[in-house]
Amino acid sequence: MSAQEKYQSLLELANQNGTTYELSEGQNGTLVVTGVAPTEEAKTQLWDEYERLDPEFRSNDLILNISVGQPGGSGTTYTVVSGDSLSKIGKHYGIAWKSIWDANRDILSDPDKIYPGQELKIPV
Amino acid sequence: MKIKILTVFTLAIALFLSACGKSDADLAKAVNDKLAAEKITGVTAVVKDGVATLTGEVGDITVKNKAEASVKSVEGIKSVTNNLTMKPLPVATPSAPDPALTAKLDDALKAAGCTGAAVAVSNGKVTVTGEVPAAKFTTCIQTIQQAGITGIDNQLKKGK
Repeated sequence: MSAQEKYQSLLELANQNGTTYELSEGQNGTLVVTGVAPTEEAKTQLWDEYERLDPEFRSNDLILNISVGQPGGSGTTYTVVSGDSLSKIGKHYGIAWKSIWDANRDILSDPDKIYPGQELKIPV
Repeated sequence: MKIKILTVFTLAIALFLSACGKSDADLAKAVNDKLAAEKITGVTAVVKDGVATLTGEVGDITVKNKAEASVKSVEGIKSVTNNLTMKPLPVATPSAPDPALTAKLDDALKAAGCTGAAVAVSNGKVTVTGEVPAAKFTTCIQTIQQAGITGIDNQLKKGK
């Protein structure tokens, strides 16, 4: 049985609860589900279903990478302007500078170095 | 009298034929309309003797299931032979090289309070060892699976 067949109820649930996802294949046929759930509750539903199908997540045949947010959210990016710092931006959104740093590790190499024009993902 | 019997007989035949339902061509049209209405594409449906056979390639298994259920719901379709296949999946790429992924995982696990868990990353595949409290177990696995990894070997123990 393929991983898609094994986890089909999980994927059906994602379609029902408004989670958008993409599938890819990881190592040794691992099914990688990368997606965005509309709410924390929807994400929890998916993890509950995952746990039901694969107790303690021991089969190593699924990677469920679901974040919570608006799909393609337009309000979740911020363009850096002159004089900005991560802590200043964090204060503006009411979140820790470190969570912005964590969300942008792919484009930032140093939390003290951000440049005007950079588009940062804001994990809100 | 003979004419009456003949009339009744003819009517019965006519009724029987109409109850038998639509022709395969009509059914095929209804099936395709239904698939179009459900916005399912890439499916070819052939109807013979009321049996629909579906072929083609679809995005994932949920589309395959949905196509089958939709066609089954068409009045007059007796059964569905579902020969749809799934498109091959693209190969997942790790979100970062191994050392960066290791650092990201270490930080994320620490932030999630999973200090008992240890990770080793090799080509995007993560081996998880150690022990965390049972109440934290799912959170710790979630944290690891959300780091952009492409393989996992979960040996994490559930403690008390």
